[in-house]
Amino acid sequence: MTGAMTASTRTASEELGDNPICASDVVVRFGATAALDHFSVDVPRGVVGLLGPNGAGKSTFIKAVLGLLDAESGRISVEGLDPSSDKMAIRDLVGYMPEHDCLIEAMTGVELVSYMGQISGMAKQDSIPRSHEVLDFVGLNEQRYRPISTYSTGMKQRIKLAQAIVHDPKIIFLDEPTSGMDPQGREEMLDLIGRIAATDKSILLSSHILNDVEMVCKNVIIVSNGKAVTQGGIESLLSQGTERKRVVLRGQPDAFARFMGMLSSEHEVLSVSEEFKQYTVVFVNTKESTSVFELAHQFGVQLRSYLPDRFDLEDVFIDALKGAC
Amino acid sequence: MGLNPVEYRPWNGQRNRQARRFLVVAESIFHHDLRSKWFLAVLIIGTFLAFALNIYLVSSSPHESLTPELMAGQMQNALFYIFLVILVSIVCSDLLSEDLRSNSFVLYFSRALKPEGYLLGKLTGAFITLAIFGLFPSLILAMAVTATQSGSDYLASAEVMLETVVAGLWVTFFFIPIALLISSLTARRTYAAVGTFMVLFVPGIISGLFVQFDHNWRLLDPSSVLAMSMDVIYGLGLPAEVDAWLFYAAIFAFIIPPLTLVYWRIQRKGVGK
Repeated sequence: MTGAMTASTRTASEELGDNPICASDVVVRFGATAALDHFSVDVPRGVVGLLGPNGAGKSTFIKAVLGLLDAESGRISVEGLDPSSDKMAIRDLVGYMPEHDCLIEAMTGVELVSYMGQISGMAKQDSIPRSHEVLDFVGLNEQRYRPISTYSTGMKQRIKLAQAIVHDPKIIFLDEPTSGMDPQGREEMLDLIGRIAATDKSILLSSHILNDVEMVCKNVIIVSNGKAVTQGGIESLLSQGTERKRVVLRGQPDAFARFMGMLSSEHEVLSVSEEFKQYTVVFVNTKESTSVFELAHQFGVQLRSYLPDRFDLEDVFIDALKGAC
Repeated sequence: MGLNPVEYRPWNGQRNRQARRFLVVAESIFHHDLRSKWFLAVLIIGTFLAFALNIYLVSSSPHESLTPELMAGQMQNALFYIFLVILVSIVCSDLLSEDLRSNSFVLYFSRALKPEGYLLGKLTGAFITLAIFGLFPSLILAMAVTATQSGSDYLASAEVMLETVVAGLWVTFFFIPIALLISSLTARRTYAAVGTFMVLFVPGIISGLFVQFDHNWRLLDPSSVLAMSMDVIYGLGLPAEVDAWLFYAAIFAFIIPPLTLVYWRIQRKGVGK
């Protein structure tokens, strides 16, 4: 799955399938710089992680989806709607939790959430009970009656989540939802996201913390230099390295060198490292494992362990970025 | 989170029309200002000094009917003008500066609210709040004078009362675009309040220096332009030495360019610039 995505030639009707958000060949420029450069992506339903380094184009993509930025070319579809002509209808479908501080600090928590609910079209008599409901959900108790200026970072993150879901949007954008939170708060925030996702919401979670994405997302999109370089299910991305093996060996240096000479002639060796006279070799083995054991025995090196070298999301992320470069 | 976490529950209510959502912003400003001690203090003192005494004095002295001269004089009263400027500074100073400071534009514009709706909401909120001082006391004065008049020409008094409604609406609105502009240029409420006060007073000092050379220099001063527009609304006409075209150009300059600039600032902030 890793590797640069080619420019898509799909038609709009194909894009409008089951996926809530589709983008095809989208170009957004700031002056001479292309913030999105022929960006093509299909965001499936469920919780989707949006990964990428700073300046990769994640926020630009979200702004383009919300219709805050106009695409120079290409097509975006949000639940079948076009942000260039239906931006207000799209914004009614979407809840957005921004990354940076954006809360009106003079208001209390419940005032802000209710106010945002009303701006999203809720009647006052609906927005007040609903605000209390979502504040209960995010775990903000009596603090909701205090001005936001007195809140801790964790409380502010909870309020930001509450204002994003108060109007019960179908699609939710979460930009770094666990930013600045302590480990317990982070776990609770991820739990909240999981519980929202259980109600058939589509959630696009932008984060730098790969563990967070791995914990709650089923799918991931990796963005680099304005392009979506990888997308797919996390399980399938992580299982692509099943043929990679990691062996730990001990032995005399000359014996190890002869072993490695033979191993590399038969297999693709990915990495070799040495620590306290113990060698760790990662290689691709498409054949029977017994041949490796026999080889070790033949050259007089001890084979201490032999394990599949499972990819983690960090490997996928780094590989994707290398591929993009 | 407790042992039994609260589950997420969907909401199935009806949303109202997008075009009406600016009223939420306006209502929020109105309620916020009515809870402000400074606003209430200035409002009460200003209403007492600029209106309460006048209402008593004018209605208790003999008069035949409500005259345009009487109401124009009231609307051009220096105390009324000073308190109006102070109230405009208080009400408008945080309208945009607070959102600039907190970066909360993104909360508004990620919802179905256009920059023009946001601006209209801010404008309407400030207008309704300031109308408590700019419109209603003068209307009460006009009604009190009409109620105590000795003459029988109530039609003429009603006409002046109608002109008072127009004058009150105009006087309430006139300073808001400039104050919004100042508020959009800084993220500090205090700077915006002091800036608004200075922008509305300093041109008066400058125009005072040059008015001996040409009376049209008075048009540099927003307070003079407002005073002249009261004469126009009450049918008393512009002073002969003032050029009518320059007068209308000054009104245009005090309203349209500030609002255009504010709109441009809001739109840029909406996309994070």
